[in-house]
Amino acid sequence: MAHPDNLFLDGVTLCAGHKTILDHVTLTVPITGMTLLAGRNGSGKSTFLKACLGLVRLQNGVLLVKGQPPETACKQIGYMPQGLNDAALMIPAISHVMAAMNGAQWGVSLPSRNRRENAERLLALTGALSFARRPLGLLSGGERQRVCLAQALTDNPKTLLLDEPLAALDHEAQHQIVSLLDTLTRELGISILMTSHETEALDGKVSRILKLENGSLHV
Amino acid sequence: MFEFEFMQHAFLGCTIVSVLAGTVGWFLILRRQAFAAHALSHIGFSGAAGAVWLGVSPLYGMIAFSLLAGLAMGSEAKGVVLSPHRDSMIGLVLAASLGLGTWFLHEANGASSMATTLLFGDVLGIDMPTLLALTGVAVLCLSGLVFLGRPLLFASLMPDVAQARGVPVRLTSLGFMAIAALACSACAEVSGALLAFSLMVGPAATALRLGLGPIAGLVSAVALALFLSWGGLALSWMTDIPVPFWIGLGAAACYGMACLVRR
Repeated sequence: MAHPDNLFLDGVTLCAGHKTILDHVTLTVPITGMTLLAGRNGSGKSTFLKACLGLVRLQNGVLLVKGQPPETACKQIGYMPQGLNDAALMIPAISHVMAAMNGAQWGVSLPSRNRRENAERLLALTGALSFARRPLGLLSGGERQRVCLAQALTDNPKTLLLDEPLAALDHEAQHQIVSLLDTLTRELGISILMTSHETEALDGKVSRILKLENGSLHV
Repeated sequence: MFEFEFMQHAFLGCTIVSVLAGTVGWFLILRRQAFAAHALSHIGFSGAAGAVWLGVSPLYGMIAFSLLAGLAMGSEAKGVVLSPHRDSMIGLVLAASLGLGTWFLHEANGASSMATTLLFGDVLGIDMPTLLALTGVAVLCLSGLVFLGRPLLFASLMPDVAQARGVPVRLTSLGFMAIAALACSACAEVSGALLAFSLMVGPAATALRLGLGPIAGLVSAVALALFLSWGGLALSWMTDIPVPFWIGLGAAACYGMACLVRR
């Protein structure tokens, strides 16, 4: 059912080039809490996340994220793509977070203390406040992941789609981020759909695992 | 120096162009489009040569050609700032335009002095109609930047995330390239097609090298562009060496100093 807490697929076919990621998949699954999207390398996990955001078109079928089509749902989704952001490395980290605040609205945003404080709050939440003023290019992989997570949290998203958020992190940092994600789901009610190969760090924290393999998606 | 009308016009022209070059240049460098800034001003040269052939003002030819080329370059963005095909597209548009420019000059039976003026600029020859045209271009470009502001910055910093949040990245890219094309034409009026990009790239690259955020970076880029163009004019007056020489040298020196500061 297209319930406001569900991920709903009806006869969905999704391709990346000539490769079929989903082949006429019909599935309804709640995505409250933390949902892990698992699958082998190249199985199409990133493409599926992009389809949930409306960045990749379906070949066939209907996909609803929390009861809304991807093009509408994306406005309430925080997204963290796979791989480190290597654009604009010379700009301070906090500017990356501030730029994402109401970033889709036309016009300019005038400097305001509220915006800055809000960005600092998000950076503090992800443990990135201490290096917020350093250019992104001078940060380590793990530090950049924290900045990207703060960026995904701008504009109070109801859902987070995180593509390999634990990559490039050491074990301690992985546990810190997982603990943070757990807090976000429990205290703020944010739903998280994420891909990760670091399943050990997620032990006991994941509400369900969605498995993507051979053109099918199942719990 | 200010008692002469041509110097007053030159300083006013430099002021307008510097404000434009600082702001547009900052976004160009942020988006790693220095090559586009370089190419657009050269493409403007071809348009200007075509305008000379047709007997209209070179500035209008420059604007028309740069605008078309800017839109062609922006169309290759495909929503991603660092598209692997982008530089190839810019290079090919540049090559075709330069070929056309050479033919236009040939057809116009253009004297080499005309080509020299188009290539190196004639800031001391700015008249009132040109000044008004530059003001119009600047107002149009800056209004466009204010309108695009937030989505342009968001898409320049994080294209994937911006697209996911509903920013029309391709439309934003096209709009920005149109603005950049107009700005390059205006800069070429002051420092010539060959050195227009020094005013676009030098101050902006320096501000970014210093690791400044968007607002501080934009303000610094405009201030540096003003410093370079005004300084270039004053030094040219004193030494009789062309303005573009001082602007080009100054831009490189500013960037060099920024590198030393941030080492």
